[in-house]
This record gives sequence, structure tokens and C-alpha cells, in this order.
Amino acid sequence: MKRLAFIFALATLVSAPAYAFKLKDLLNVPDQNKTQQPAAASGTQQKQRFDTQALAKTLFGKTSTEDEIRIGRQIAGNLLGAMPLVRDDDLQRYVNVVGRWVAEQSGRNDIRWYFGVLDSEDINAFAAPGGYVFLTKGLYRRLSNEAELAGVLGHEIAHITHKDHLKLLKQTTLISTLGQAVGENFKGSDQAVQNLIGNGAEIMARGLDKDTELAADRTGVVFAARAGYDPWGLPTVLQDLTALPAGDQRTSLLYKTHPAPADRLAALGDAIGPRFDSLTGGKDFKDRFYRIR
Amino acid sequence: MKQRFVGLSILLTAALSGPVLAASPGSLIRNETLKSQPSATAMSVGSVARGAAVEIIGRQGGWVQVQSGRTRGWVRLLSVRAGSGGAAGAGIGDVVGIATNKADPSRVVAVAGVRGLSEEDLKKAAFNPAELAKLETLGVTEAQAKAFAAKSGLKAATVAELPTPQKQNNQPGGTN
Repeated sequence: MKRLAFIFALATLVSAPAYAFKLKDLLNVPDQNKTQQPAAASGTQQKQRFDTQALAKTLFGKTSTEDEIRIGRQIAGNLLGAMPLVRDDDLQRYVNVVGRWVAEQSGRNDIRWYFGVLDSEDINAFAAPGGYVFLTKGLYRRLSNEAELAGVLGHEIAHITHKDHLKLLKQTTLISTLGQAVGENFKGSDQAVQNLIGNGAEIMARGLDKDTELAADRTGVVFAARAGYDPWGLPTVLQDLTALPAGDQRTSLLYKTHPAPADRLAALGDAIGPRFDSLTGGKDFKDRFYRIR
Repeated sequence: MKQRFVGLSILLTAALSGPVLAASPGSLIRNETLKSQPSATAMSVGSVARGAAVEIIGRQGGWVQVQSGRTRGWVRLLSVRAGSGGAAGAGIGDVVGIATNKADPSRVVAVAGVRGLSEEDLKKAAFNPAELAKLETLGVTEAQAKAFAAKSGLKAATVAELPTPQKQNNQPGGTN
């Protein structure tokens, strides 16, 4: 039955006249700040459903940068609904300059990059499409220098440049969430995108596969090294995580969505081998590393 | 009395040898050769088998110095996992941070009472426009990032992408 609905949705898309799948053209959602009259509501819902379908279709092909940012922005806004930013502008600015410099090495300059430290004791980091990167205060506190920060951010930047979450959306969205009408409207919230990504920020709890994570480790280490940092930052963080007890609640989501840190260490070891032996002179800036008060 | 003396001598040794990291437990996740120096070309001083428990003494670049029985030597950082309990599993204890090779006491955080972030928390999360706006004001430009790097002496280096490893049936030890 679900399958039928899916086929029907596809058929609708196929039979639709040629649309330009630029989101700005597609979207004509009424101002969500205004209270909608009940009579108008069903029409709006229909419109949203259509927008979501169209948006989903764009995911089949090459997602435009504009769409990517729009999807990432909604995910980022939701994630910030679960965990706000740490109220420390110096910290946030520091993470942004380091992160932006590491992102520079990725070659993606078609997006703005944003970095945020989330006010949570959980130990984790997140990337949303379009350049939104987060790590938790719990993880930040475990870092002991700037090279480690660069390595962690490098891993997340790699997810964005590899477009891992967009691929995940392409694989799973249509079947699971297409056409669902979701919850209330929030100011600035993008309903069509929300329909696509499921509930809240749940996509951030959906694990990417193991190889995808290991690839992000490899690329993340390389980005940090290209930025002039000691390449051993991310490996040191992973090694530190191997010391945590398996039952530590603060890592339960991390380990649900990532391979065990010991496995990541081993895989990175296989990949790097002696390749970085000649790579010396990377910086770690232990002394200037910003400590959370 | 004797214990006290031992304690004193440890203190003295620590004071004399300068700032050393406290040794912390670890174990090998692959068979390794112990080197006399943190370098692939250094002399071998022994070997350690996968799963062997070691004390992690220090780190330099991509190498860690470990004590294995009576032998002390250097192995690649990525060959060693931290924590007690060996390759078989997770470290035990309700305090974390201690069993790491990092000396910062602020990292010792009691686990008790900290509830982790759950999938449910993320599902229920409602879009927060104010926080998103805040995040977007914090972003820096490419030019600002370049200026930061230049001021810091961070120079972009040419580093090749790492190759995708061949599929191996090489189960690394440990499930943490």
C-alpha cells in the first residue's frame, strides 16, 4: 500500500508539466507569521505537499546549492531547537575562524560555512548540508588543542563536501516521509523542507553507513593537515574516546550513528600507514586553545 | 613507612623529570614493533602483540610512547586504543577522563546524572529561528579566515587525499 502511494507520487511527478526545480520558484508558501484562516489551511497543506514532492524530485537529480542550503538550514534550525548555542561569543567566533579556515581546504566556496558549539554535555558533532557544522560542549571540553578541534571539524566538513546527508535523503525520504504534513509552523521554518526531512532533526540521529563515516575520517584528517595543523588531532580525539566506558550515556547517540572509535582508529591506521611520516611542522596551538569557562 | 617512602620517591621523581603526563592504560589494536624513537626508521626494541595491555606514557606527532612489561618504546598512535580492559572491551568505572593520556583535571567528569541526547530529543526538536539567526551572525568570511591563518602562521599545505583502503577481513580488537 505504501508502495502504491509511492508509485502514485512518482506518477504525479512524472505527469506534471515541466517545472523549474529551483526552490525559490517553487516555493510560494504564504507568510507563516500570519495566522491562517481554517478555510485556507487545506489549500496551504496541499501546496506544501506539492512543494515537498517537487523538492524531493530535485533530490533525484543534482541538488542545486540553493536547495542544499535550504535543506541544511532547516535541519540546523531544528537541531538548535534541541540544543541551543553556548552563550560565549568568544568561543563561537574562535570555532568559526578555525572551522572556516579548515573548510577553505575543502575547495567548497559556493556556500557560507557556519560553526556552532551546542550547549549539551552529550559528546557528539553534527553536519547539515549547505555548510552547517556543530559540536557539543561535551565534546569540545575533551579537546586539548586547536589541531584536535580542526580534526573534528574536518570530519564534519567532509560530510558536507561529500554530500553524505543529501545522499541519505535521496535514499530514504520519498518512501518514509513524502507528503506527510508536519506539526505547527514556526517563524522562519520551511514546511516543504520539513516534510522532506521527517520530524525535527531526526535525520541527525539516522546513521550514515560505516564506510561513509570512515571516509569522512580520512578526508577530515587531510583537510586539517592541508590547513597547516598537526594531522594527528582527529586520531588523538578518537583515541581519547576509546577510553570512555561503553555505557556512558553521553556517547550513546554518537555510537549509535558512528562505528566504535577503536574501529575508526584501526581503519585510519590502515589508510594512513606511513603516509604522514614526512608531514612535519603541523601546528596544534595548545597554548592559545580556547577553554570553555 | 615503606609505602610512604615509595610515595615520596615517586613524588621526587615526578618533580625532577619535569612536566610528564601521567601514564594511562591502553592496549594494542594491531601487532606492532616497538621503536627506540618516534620514527619508522628508528631501531626496534621489541614487539607488542594485538590485544596486549600497555601503559601510555607520552605522545609525539603520530607516535605514542608505551611501556610494555619491562620494555619501553614508541608505536604508531593509530595502533593503540586507550582505556583499561584491553582489547576485549570497554573500560570500567563510573568516572571518565581519568584513563586518558591527557592531564587536564577539568576533563574528569562524573557520568552519573548526565543523560545523553536521545533520538527522541532530536525528533521532538522544534525549529529555533532565534538560535539560527545567532549562528548566522557568527559566521566569518573567507577573507577573515585567511587573515586569521596568516596571522597565526598557518600555511596551507599540499596533502593528497588518502586512498580508500582495500576491503580486509581485519577485525580490529575492541568494541567500545
